[in-house]
Amino acid sequence: MRAAVAQYYPAASWLHALDARAKIVAVGVLSVALFTRDAFISLAFYSGAATIGLIVSRVPARWFWRALKPVLWLVALTFLVQILFAPGEAFFRFGPIRLSWRGLELAGYLSLRLIVLVLFGSLLTLTTSPVALTDGLAWLGRPLRRLRVPTEELALMVTIALRFIPTLLAELETIMRAQRARGADFSHGGPLRRARALVPVLVPLFVLSFRRADDLALAMEARCYVPGVQRSRLHPLRASWRDGVLLVAVAGIVVMAVAAGTLW
Amino acid sequence: MTGLGMVCEHLSFAYQAGEQRVLALRDISLSLAPGSSTALLGPAGSGKSTLLLILRGLLDPDEGEVRLGGVGMADRGYAEAQRSVGLVFQQAERQLFAATCEEDVAFGPRQLGWPPQQVQEAVAEAMERVGLSPALFARRHPYALSGGEQRRLALAGVLAMRPRALLLDEPFVGLDPAARRDLSAILRGLATSGETVVLATHEVDRAWELCEQRVVLAGGGLAASGAWDFAAGGVELLESHGLQVPTLVELWRRLGRPLAHPPRTATAAAEALA
Amino acid sequence: MSTLIDIRELRFAYPGNQAALSGISLNVQRGESVAIVGANGSGKSTLARILGGLERPTAAARALVCGADLTTLEGRLSARREAGILFQDPENQFVGADVEEDLAFGPENLGWPAERIRERVEELICAFRLEDLREREPHMLSGGQKQRVALAGVLAVPRTLLVLDEPTSMLDAAGKHDVLAAVRRLHAEGLTVILVTQEMEEAAIAARVIALDAGTVAFDGPAATLFTDQEALARLSLGLPLPAAVAAEVERRGRRLGTLPLDLEGLVTALREVVS
Repeated sequence: MRAAVAQYYPAASWLHALDARAKIVAVGVLSVALFTRDAFISLAFYSGAATIGLIVSRVPARWFWRALKPVLWLVALTFLVQILFAPGEAFFRFGPIRLSWRGLELAGYLSLRLIVLVLFGSLLTLTTSPVALTDGLAWLGRPLRRLRVPTEELALMVTIALRFIPTLLAELETIMRAQRARGADFSHGGPLRRARALVPVLVPLFVLSFRRADDLALAMEARCYVPGVQRSRLHPLRASWRDGVLLVAVAGIVVMAVAAGTLW
Repeated sequence: MTGLGMVCEHLSFAYQAGEQRVLALRDISLSLAPGSSTALLGPAGSGKSTLLLILRGLLDPDEGEVRLGGVGMADRGYAEAQRSVGLVFQQAERQLFAATCEEDVAFGPRQLGWPPQQVQEAVAEAMERVGLSPALFARRHPYALSGGEQRRLALAGVLAMRPRALLLDEPFVGLDPAARRDLSAILRGLATSGETVVLATHEVDRAWELCEQRVVLAGGGLAASGAWDFAAGGVELLESHGLQVPTLVELWRRLGRPLAHPPRTATAAAEALA
Repeated sequence: MSTLIDIRELRFAYPGNQAALSGISLNVQRGESVAIVGANGSGKSTLARILGGLERPTAAARALVCGADLTTLEGRLSARREAGILFQDPENQFVGADVEEDLAFGPENLGWPAERIRERVEELICAFRLEDLREREPHMLSGGQKQRVALAGVLAVPRTLLVLDEPTSMLDAAGKHDVLAAVRRLHAEGLTVILVTQEMEEAAIAARVIALDAGTVAFDGPAATLFTDQEALARLSLGLPLPAAVAAEVERRGRRLGTLPLDLEGLVTALREVVS
């Protein structure tokens, strides 16, 4: 269940020390650029960037592996689909299955892109605390305030929601066990039956959550929270020259990847 | 009704907490006689809740065996657990979900597949037992009840299944004094009806008042089991594990009275002092 | 300012409901320790929230908390700043992602600069012995630990008045002990404390007890006076600690014991006197 929440792995690395905003922009730009230029040489640049990032981050490899695992089936599926239904000259036939070089190529691009995409995303979430991430997004989303979007309040809501995920999961488990102890059966029957079986679990969870929200709002007001008022932070976002270096490096990678893809 | 005998042999259980593997129970061996009432004591994190979950069959031990009425949990014993072992969780009122009190109490019996007539009888009987008269409470919405009443309703939901063994996990936490008194009275009533009772609680005074025996868990291991024995080191045993000594036992000790049979209630104490 | 709470004829009713408080008058001086007791429904939690500036009184001849008028919004916001409230459920007061973030929540709301917030967080960690819990997330803490963090978090913003609404009811013996010890210490250091509780032994740590009964003040005086009145105690549904229950039973059998002892020490002393 822990995989449900993006993991943060605290460590003392260059990437960890960077400002969240710079990292978000970097990952955003790289992820978009990743899908331009169908050329392995371009993808090689991005893959290289991801690999370097992995090493610099000082996060043990198994954390990246854990992030990749759920996606691997998707990669395998896309690979298969691309091969079987791709255009181009077939060089191999076996009954209904036909393979073409073009198909293999397209499958390769897509699979590699998915993997690198997940790696970029993981680099962001593993090296940035959820609080910093939310603050970074809130800052970047400031222009939305002109459209009356309450970015500050949303950021706080996200932080609080994340904080309550482990608590809610534990409560879910307890309530399921309590109802199982009364004979509830969540594993048998068709979809309709199973959905009905969840009522004794979902109703209490909802009621509990609403009561909790009420209590929490009161506690927040008691600690002088006023919606709309600008809040300071214990760990404010502080940009430095290192963030500039990151953004320049990213720009460089993209330029080289696009150029290489165009020329070869 | 005959209580269910429960036996544990060399139970061990560990769980994963992030990167670490935590040993919740280490080599626990216990024997709970049918109809006995046992307090499960121990500091927070000592494994009490885990043990109750294993006794109910909701968790499988990594090692060791549980036998209910002589039948191992691993084979037919689980079916026995489903039918005959009731578990009242911490803050049990959180399990309430139905639109009326009687609907909620009826959930368990219905899941057991009982015919409607039997379900109705069981619901009425259970609600009476917990002091929520069906005439007054049957049609009310569970959330309209007070905290203490809700907890008793949740208890009724378990009692309605007519368990032969009743496990309770910290039933007194968060109750106001009046509700605690009511619940104590209900649990005292259970002593006469034959169920095997296991009461996990940190309230040593209630444990002393309501249970004939005690099991002390410490750091996942078994520190003691069997009858209370304050005459022979029972006080030191509790103190050495950071547990409180029952107030009335401490009173007897301070007054220099023999600890073979200290009083269990204020009334008994006053009688003895008169 | 020496009068921290100055309330006269305060009324409060939830919309569409009966009155929760009808005609409360209360005066609390700086440095006092007051316990507010009463059965469920007596209005004590409502009163606690009003004192903390979280609810608007329906009507009042006077309603001042730390000089702020509770009938106005500015007054209530000011009261929230001066008076801190600790609630019952340790889980539902924990806002931050971890202990440090939670301690910083109050000061962040007031816009303090980061360095000052950091300093304050360090002070609190030291004062409430939270060193080992610094970066723990809430689900890794026990109820008692969470409540200690909550108390520290409430006091992160310097307060003149601390209101506690049944702060130990969901804790085990160790947790109760820790919280009450912290409250005693804070009072000794000069904080004015209002403890709402249903447990007599907790009410006994205060010098003055106010008993609420169906929204009105039924008693306001020294704890010792109330605790000899068994009839009043029964009517107010207060939880008698075991030593007091024993003493009551002993008295019922003819032996007079004088004041009702609240703890074992008191009972032992009282019994020894009777025997001799």
